[in-house]
Amino acid sequence: MTASLGSVPTGRTVTSPFSRVYGLGSIYGKTIRDSRLAFIIAAGLLGGMALVMGVAISSVFPTAASRLEVDKLIGSMPASMVNLFGKPVSLGTLGGYMTFKYGAIFALGTALWSIFALSSTLAGEARRGSLDLVATAPFGKRRIALEKVAAHLTMLGLAMAILAVMTTASSTLFGDAALGDQIPLLSSVGFALWCGFLAVFFGGLAFALAPLLGRAGSAGVASLVMLVLWVANGLDVAGIVVLSPFRWTADHIALVGRYDWLPLGLVGVVAVAFLAIGVELFVRRDLGVTAGLSLPRLPAAVLGVRGPISRAFGDQLPRALSWGIGLGLMGALIASLVGPMASQLGKDPNLSKTFAAIFPGLDLGSTGGWLQLYAELLFIAAGFAAATFVSRWASDETDGRLEMVLTTPLARARWVIAGGTAAVLAVVVMTVLFAAGIGLGAASGGVSAGDPMVGSAVLGVYAAAIAGVGFAVGGLWRTSLAAEIAALVVVATYLVDLIAPPLKLPDWIHELAVTAHLGQPMVGQWDVGGLIACGVIAVGGILLGAWGMARRDVD
Amino acid sequence: MTAVIETERLTKSYGSHRGIIDVNLVVQEGEVFGFLGPNGAGKTTTIRTFLDLIRPTSGVARVFGIESSADPVAIHRRIGYIPGEFTLYDRLTGGQTIEYFGNLRGGVDPAYRAALIERFDVDPSRKFKEYSKGNKQKIGLVVALQHRPELLVLDEPTSGLDPLIQQSFYALVREAQAEGRTVFLSSHILSEVERTCDRVAIIRDGRLVKVDSVEGLRDLAHHEVELRFVDGVPAEAFEGLPGVSDIVVQDHVLRMRVSGPITPVVQAAARYELLDFVSREPTLEETFLAQYGHEAVEVARP
Repeated sequence: MTASLGSVPTGRTVTSPFSRVYGLGSIYGKTIRDSRLAFIIAAGLLGGMALVMGVAISSVFPTAASRLEVDKLIGSMPASMVNLFGKPVSLGTLGGYMTFKYGAIFALGTALWSIFALSSTLAGEARRGSLDLVATAPFGKRRIALEKVAAHLTMLGLAMAILAVMTTASSTLFGDAALGDQIPLLSSVGFALWCGFLAVFFGGLAFALAPLLGRAGSAGVASLVMLVLWVANGLDVAGIVVLSPFRWTADHIALVGRYDWLPLGLVGVVAVAFLAIGVELFVRRDLGVTAGLSLPRLPAAVLGVRGPISRAFGDQLPRALSWGIGLGLMGALIASLVGPMASQLGKDPNLSKTFAAIFPGLDLGSTGGWLQLYAELLFIAAGFAAATFVSRWASDETDGRLEMVLTTPLARARWVIAGGTAAVLAVVVMTVLFAAGIGLGAASGGVSAGDPMVGSAVLGVYAAAIAGVGFAVGGLWRTSLAAEIAALVVVATYLVDLIAPPLKLPDWIHELAVTAHLGQPMVGQWDVGGLIACGVIAVGGILLGAWGMARRDVD
Repeated sequence: MTAVIETERLTKSYGSHRGIIDVNLVVQEGEVFGFLGPNGAGKTTTIRTFLDLIRPTSGVARVFGIESSADPVAIHRRIGYIPGEFTLYDRLTGGQTIEYFGNLRGGVDPAYRAALIERFDVDPSRKFKEYSKGNKQKIGLVVALQHRPELLVLDEPTSGLDPLIQQSFYALVREAQAEGRTVFLSSHILSEVERTCDRVAIIRDGRLVKVDSVEGLRDLAHHEVELRFVDGVPAEAFEGLPGVSDIVVQDHVLRMRVSGPITPVVQAAARYELLDFVSREPTLEETFLAQYGHEAVEVARP
C-alpha cells in the first residue's frame, strides 16, 4: 500500500514570476544575490573613500602654496616608502595625493574582497553541503564554476564603475581645477581597472587554490602572497619583486594621467589564467574533497570543553590568532621602517619641516607617530575583527547548535555573557599580538615603541565596543544580522570621523564617531572619556544582548 | 501518575504563518509517548515551545510541573534533547563534543557514556565535521542520553541511522522506560512509534487531532476482509451489514472494508462454504493515513 498526496489546491504558485529578479533563476543570479551585502559594503567603502578624498584634500590643502609644500615631498622619500604606499607623482594634485597615500589601500582592499569571494564561492558552498545539490542540477561543473566567477566579476565590475564615477565626481565637486585636481573619467577608469585587475589577480589565485586547499586555506595563502608581493615591491626584495604585479604596474598612475596599459594587461592575463586553472581543477577533482593545509592544530586544552566560556573562547581563538598575527605583521612592518625614516628626517631639516606641516602634532621620528598616521586603518581592521568574533558567536544559533546548548542547564543570558566574555578575550589576544608585532618591528629598526605598544590597547577597547554592539543586536533582535550590523557601524564610524571635519558638519555629528574620542593613542595621548564610553558600550552591549536573548525566540 | 509534560491550549503563531493552535497534551511519567504528524504539522514547534526555545503566543506549557518560560533551566537540567536538525562544533572531535555537553550538565557517569558510545558504534576520535550524517546523529543521541535524563525529548531520533543502530536505540528507549523515565518521541515513521510507544498523539495543520494508545488507534481503523467462496459470491448477503463498505467482487473472491466490530461479517460468512477468510489487522500507518485521508491523503493500492 502506498500513500500519495493528492492535489492540494492552495491557491499558491510554487515559483514567483519575479524569481529571476530575486536571483533565483540561475547559479549566476543566485551568486549575485548572495554577494549583494559584500558588494554594498565594498562599493560603499571604495566610492565613499574616493568622495572623501576630494573633500579632505581640498579643505586641508586649499591653496597653491600648501600644495607646493606637499610637492616638496617628491624625491625626498625613502624608496621603501615610495613603493609601498604608491609613487609620489604630482603630489600637489588630488589624483597624485590620492594615488600616493591611498592607492595601495584601494587595491589591497579590493583584492581582499575578491580573495574572500572567490575562495568561498565554490569551496564555501561545498562546506555548507549545498554544492552537491547544485552539482547534481542539469549543468556541467564547468558551467557552474564559470557562472560563479562571472557573478563575482560582474559585482567587481560594478564596484569599480562606482569607484571610477565617484573619483571623477569627487574631483569635479570638491577639487580645484586651477590646482590640477580635475580627474577625467578616463583617468578614473584607468585607476579602477588597476584596482580591479589586481583584485582579480589575487582573487584568481585564491580561486585556483580553493579546490586543493579549501576555503580558508586558499584565502590564507592568497592573502599571504598578496602581502608578500606588496612588501617585496616596497622593499625591493631581489628575486621576488619581479613576480609582483605591484611592480609590473608601478608606472600606471592613471589618476595623474600616466597610463601603462601593457603591464596592466599582463596582470589581467595572469588573472584569467588563475581563474581558468581554478575552473579546470574544480571540474577534474572530486567534489568538495580538499587536501587542506597541514597547519599545526590547536591543542585540545585550548579548544575548550570545560564550560561555556572556555568553549566559546576555543571557538574564537583561531580567528583571534589570525587577526592578531595579521595586525602584528602590519605593525612590525611599519615599526621596522621608522628607523630609516627617522634617520632621513634627521638629516634633512626641510623635509622634517614639510612633514610637520602636513602632519601637525605627530612626531614622525617615532614609531608611534607613524602608526598614528594609520590609526584609521587600524581601527577599521580591529572593528572588522570584532565583527568576525560576533559572527563566530552568532554561528551557534545560525548554524543550529544553539538548541542543543540551550537545552542543557545553561541559561540564555549566560550563553550571551559567556560568548561576550570570550569575544573580549579574543580581542585581548589580537591586541597583545599586535603590540608584540610593533615591539618586534621597532626592535629590528633600533627604535623604541613603548607608547604605541601601550596605545594598541585602545584598538582593543574599540574592538570590544564594536563587539558589544554586535552582541546587543544579536541578543535583542537576531544573530544572523549581528556581525553585519557591527561591520556597518565600523564603516559608518570611519566615514563620519573622516568626512565630518572637512565638510564642517556640526560637532555633534562628528562626535557620533567613537573613534573621534580616542585621542592619539599611538603617541601616548589618551582620551579617558572615549575609553570609558567604549567600555560602557562593550559591557552594556553584552548585558543588553543577554537581557534581550532571554526574551526572544531561538531561531 | 504524574504529568511530566502538560500543555493547555498551547498556541504559537509566526505572524501570518500558522504554528500550533490550542494544543492540549498530557504526557505521564514513565510512558513512551509518540508524537506523529506529517512534515510541517507542528511537531517541532510544539517541542520547541515546551522546552522554552520559543515562547507561546498563548496558552501554557509545563514540564515537571514547571511553567516552561518561568524556569527553563530547571527543566533543562532534567531532560535530554536531540533536535530534528542540528549541527555541532566542527573543530571538536565527537568525544570532545560529548564531553563538553557532559560538562555543561555535570554528573555524567563516564562508564555509562563509554557504554553508549560503544553501543552506537561511533568513533569518538574523529572531528565532528568529518562524520557522516548517521554518525552525527549518533553523537547527538549520546549527548542526549549520557546523563540519564528523567525526560528524553527526541525529535526524529533515528534519522540517518542504519537498521542495526536503530535496534540499539529502541533497546535504549525500552531501558529508559524500564527505569521509570519518560520519553517523548516525535516522528513521522509510524512503525517506529508503533513499536516503541505506549500512547500516540497525532498533530495535523498545527492542531492535535487525536491522542490515544497505540492499540486504541488500531481499533479506530477499518479491517480489510477478503472471503474466497467455493461457489458464487453472495455479495447481497454482506451489503447491508453494519460497518461494511467498498464491496468488490472478483471471480470467487469478495473484498470489503469493515469498520467497527467484525462479528456480523463472521456470522454472515459462516452460512457459506469458504475456501479462505482473511482479515487483515490494520497497521498504525494505515490508521494514520485514514486519519488524514479525508482531504489531503489518498491511499492507493499497488
